[in-house]
Amino acid sequence: MLFRLTFIFLIQLLAIYFFSLGFFPKKNVLNGASTFNYNVSLQNNSKPVFDRLILVVIDALRSDFIFDKHNSNFHFVHSKLNSGEAWGFTAFANPPTVTLPRLKGITTGSTPSFLDAILNVAEDDNSSSISEQDSWLLQLRRFSNHRIRFFGDDTWLKLFSPAENFFDAWEGTNSFFVSDFQEVDYNVTRHIQTQINERDQWDTLILHYLGLDHIGHKGGAYSKFMPKKQIELDTIIQQLYEEIIDENSLLVFMGDHGMNDIGNHGGSSAGETHAGMVFMSPKLLQSRPFENVSVPLDTPLNDDGEVNFEYMKQIQQIDLVPTISTLFNVPIPKNSVGITISEFLPFLDNDTRLIKVWENFRQLSILNNEIIDKDFKLWDIDKLYLYMKEVQQSLTRSATNYNYTKLAIGYVFVVLSAILISLLTIKEMQFSSIMIMLVFISSMIGMSTFSSSFVEEEHQIWWWIITGTLLLIIVSRPKKKTTYFSSLIIFICLRLIRGWNNTGQKTVYSYVIGNLLDETPSIKWSLNCVTILWLSILSTFDYLSPLAQLILPVIILSYKINWTIVDKESIPDYLKEMVKVITKYLLKEDHMVLFENALIPTALIVYKLFSILMLLRIFLLVIKGSNKEKFIKSLFRDITMFLLYLSPSRNIPQYLLFDIIGRCATQILKDEFKSSLYLIPIVSMILQHFCFFQFGGSNSIATIDLSNAYHGISSDYNIYIVGYLMTVSNFAPAIYWTLFSWQYLYSKSVTHKNTNKWEIFAKSKLPFIFFNCIIGCCLFASCIILRYHLFIWSVFSPKLCYYFTWNLFMQGVVGWIFEMITVAFL
Amino acid sequence: MPNKTKKSVKKRVTFSDDTTTTVSRSHNKTRSDFIANHPPVFIRKTFKTIPWHLLFLLYYYVKLSKNYDIITLLKMLIPSQFIYLMYQFNKSTIYGNKRLKLNITLSLVTIVGSFLLGFPILIIVILCGAPFVEHLPLSWLLSLHISYLAYPALYSVFNCDFKVGLWKKYFIAIVLGGWLSCVVIPLDWDRDWQAWPIPVVVGSYLGAFVGYSIGAYI
Repeated sequence: MLFRLTFIFLIQLLAIYFFSLGFFPKKNVLNGASTFNYNVSLQNNSKPVFDRLILVVIDALRSDFIFDKHNSNFHFVHSKLNSGEAWGFTAFANPPTVTLPRLKGITTGSTPSFLDAILNVAEDDNSSSISEQDSWLLQLRRFSNHRIRFFGDDTWLKLFSPAENFFDAWEGTNSFFVSDFQEVDYNVTRHIQTQINERDQWDTLILHYLGLDHIGHKGGAYSKFMPKKQIELDTIIQQLYEEIIDENSLLVFMGDHGMNDIGNHGGSSAGETHAGMVFMSPKLLQSRPFENVSVPLDTPLNDDGEVNFEYMKQIQQIDLVPTISTLFNVPIPKNSVGITISEFLPFLDNDTRLIKVWENFRQLSILNNEIIDKDFKLWDIDKLYLYMKEVQQSLTRSATNYNYTKLAIGYVFVVLSAILISLLTIKEMQFSSIMIMLVFISSMIGMSTFSSSFVEEEHQIWWWIITGTLLLIIVSRPKKKTTYFSSLIIFICLRLIRGWNNTGQKTVYSYVIGNLLDETPSIKWSLNCVTILWLSILSTFDYLSPLAQLILPVIILSYKINWTIVDKESIPDYLKEMVKVITKYLLKEDHMVLFENALIPTALIVYKLFSILMLLRIFLLVIKGSNKEKFIKSLFRDITMFLLYLSPSRNIPQYLLFDIIGRCATQILKDEFKSSLYLIPIVSMILQHFCFFQFGGSNSIATIDLSNAYHGISSDYNIYIVGYLMTVSNFAPAIYWTLFSWQYLYSKSVTHKNTNKWEIFAKSKLPFIFFNCIIGCCLFASCIILRYHLFIWSVFSPKLCYYFTWNLFMQGVVGWIFEMITVAFL
Repeated sequence: MPNKTKKSVKKRVTFSDDTTTTVSRSHNKTRSDFIANHPPVFIRKTFKTIPWHLLFLLYYYVKLSKNYDIITLLKMLIPSQFIYLMYQFNKSTIYGNKRLKLNITLSLVTIVGSFLLGFPILIIVILCGAPFVEHLPLSWLLSLHISYLAYPALYSVFNCDFKVGLWKKYFIAIVLGGWLSCVVIPLDWDRDWQAWPIPVVVGSYLGAFVGYSIGAYI
């Protein structure tokens, strides 16, 4: 049995390997920098329209923040837009709408591949560097000898590394602390006065502000901090414009992407993809393509009456790239899919205007692998533009080419594994009611992968399954009266958990418990303390209790509080004092170490203590032969503490509810189902998924929580450790429920029937592998069928990645390797 | 001599099916005693129990009413359920080998009872995931609908000495209908009928329709 299951699991891993190779191929990029092709000497000698560029990128600046009547406070920008000195556009940002792929788009003009979105999370990865790729930065630097300065989000420094090859002066800011709205921007703004004074020493200045994005993540698009931030940024724009910009300078200020109303981004909703873009220069007055503009504008609505964020003229965000190249008279970067914004053509000399359009046309055609029409030189500009628009559309649509052979191999493997596991399941479970339930759940989730909205709202299906199961237990005449009571308690706890966080795309409730807790820190922290106290007191005592149940929880609690203080959230005073005392005691050598500087040392102590604890537990088990059941229970509790340490503070009280649910579920399982060997893993599986989503997780890249991945990590961090912490912190509830099932699987009540622990291990793995194989079959099929679907990159591919993580991490690392090691010690 | 005193019929609420408890209790008793003590309750297998009015109400709700007028629907549901009970459901109910006459007082009391039943149902609906703060009035209206859909069954529970076992399936059918109908809510079709609680109302009506139609055969 174990052997067969391992075999099937390996086939499944192979399927995943081949499918991911086929589905996410690395994009082909044309190497090298481009040059002029037509009338080279004329182009080389012509004077650029502008010779100084200031690019101000404001993270998550949605179009309505610049243009809307009700939602914009950029008053200076409005006045310039109305006078004609500034031109506004709504720039469509291709999903994935996260910073790194968007910056790639803004600088190289390429459309992002899905891999970029993943790499945005794994920020440190070197493969994200585009220092070798053609971009307008590279062109300005090499071709026009621009001296470029950069201040702002350090994603730029990751893209253009080593920085000294691109920038004369730079400073990166990072976004570890999302609650910091002020300092992160001040670190950029404080450089401005120097730049104004040294204006002869640079030609291009790039600023990237993160504060507005932070406000969005924290409080949504209509946060009370938003107007203040907009006014602050407006003043900065005004200062830059009035003190630096002259006839030959251009100021571009833009959002790299938008945000939805909760303030998240990453997907493809209208709010996320519609960023604003404004060009400002006194020279723009010479041509007035937009007459009678009176910004701020009314909110634009689509046919269904929803806000579509389409203000002013619509352009593609990547159109910025050839526009800058044309205006600054440098070759258009090779991989650019943009089209020069036609309103800027009048600024070019009569003889170069057509040549510049030809260059754009040629570069696009080559990118599209087309043979250039010989007669194109006879075409007029309108015809060229029409043609370029078509090319642009086809290029943005097919950002990747699938490798069909590998897809086929992957699919054959997954079908094979599904057939094998089905045969094995039928043989083992023999169409029992538990198997029917398993098949029902698997096929429900499997079928849901064909619909984009069900993928986005998967938590609803789990909730639907969980309520159905509970109602079924209640109406199916339980043997004991206590079952009614336990089910009711479970129901209440689950309902509370469901109301804890917003998840999914469709509904956003303003009153979720998590938000209420964030608003009232005193209640939140009392609950957190109660949770930690409850978890440590209500468990068995042994030799290691002082360490596991007193010292470790206290340090973890003080670390969480410390983190919150540094994250500039308010916190009850008595806890502040407590943290001061504890950190002083912990880090004796230096009494000045407090709060910010105490974070990393405290985190390191937590890691050390936790490892010591684990080693001691195993030591006691092996040498002294302590009780095995107790060992599993204490292991469960210790790891719960560790998971709590990696969870956001607003979610910590959920562990209290988890514990209550666990106790009640145990009672029901024992009384009604005699702790059935197959039912425990299924219950664990349902709760794993349900709680994963209610922790704030979803099938979208946007909800990956990074804030807990940097505990104890200094600035020169190792990407693998961060990645590992990130996965654990995002899957914390799932890990909790996996471990929860162990204490019943390997306890006496189950083992006395089947003496062999390895057989129990194998049998308990059966439902999850069955579930994963069925989902794999459906999901792979839906990804193949819907590969040209509009949402393939924003919905189905992220789902695929989550599926891989569920398999590789939850199934492979936690459920297979980790569990095997533990079982081996028993 | 074994004592064969007649037991008085106790009113009791039990969630188990009548036959199972009674059979085990009357092990050594004769069948006639059993029938006398525990008159059988059942619904006649007839087309008369099909609640056509629910379909008409649904048609009104989905097609005719403006903005899915849930309050008017409720106003129409209560009298029509009363008429249904009077002329269709009660006439098909056999209790103690005879058809019972409609107890008007009891049926009116049951209308109040259904209203009160709406509150525990509201709690269940919220436990099952109805929005708690934002749409509380709507959730309450939904639970009133569910409880008035169960009105004929509730009346029969009162009328037939609280033998819940037989009537349980009607409650289950309504809840099942509502539960199944939730599936359409997350879809991104952006239809106005996806708003809370329209799908669940429709689902419970359909559940009730199916339940009352085939309840006798289960």
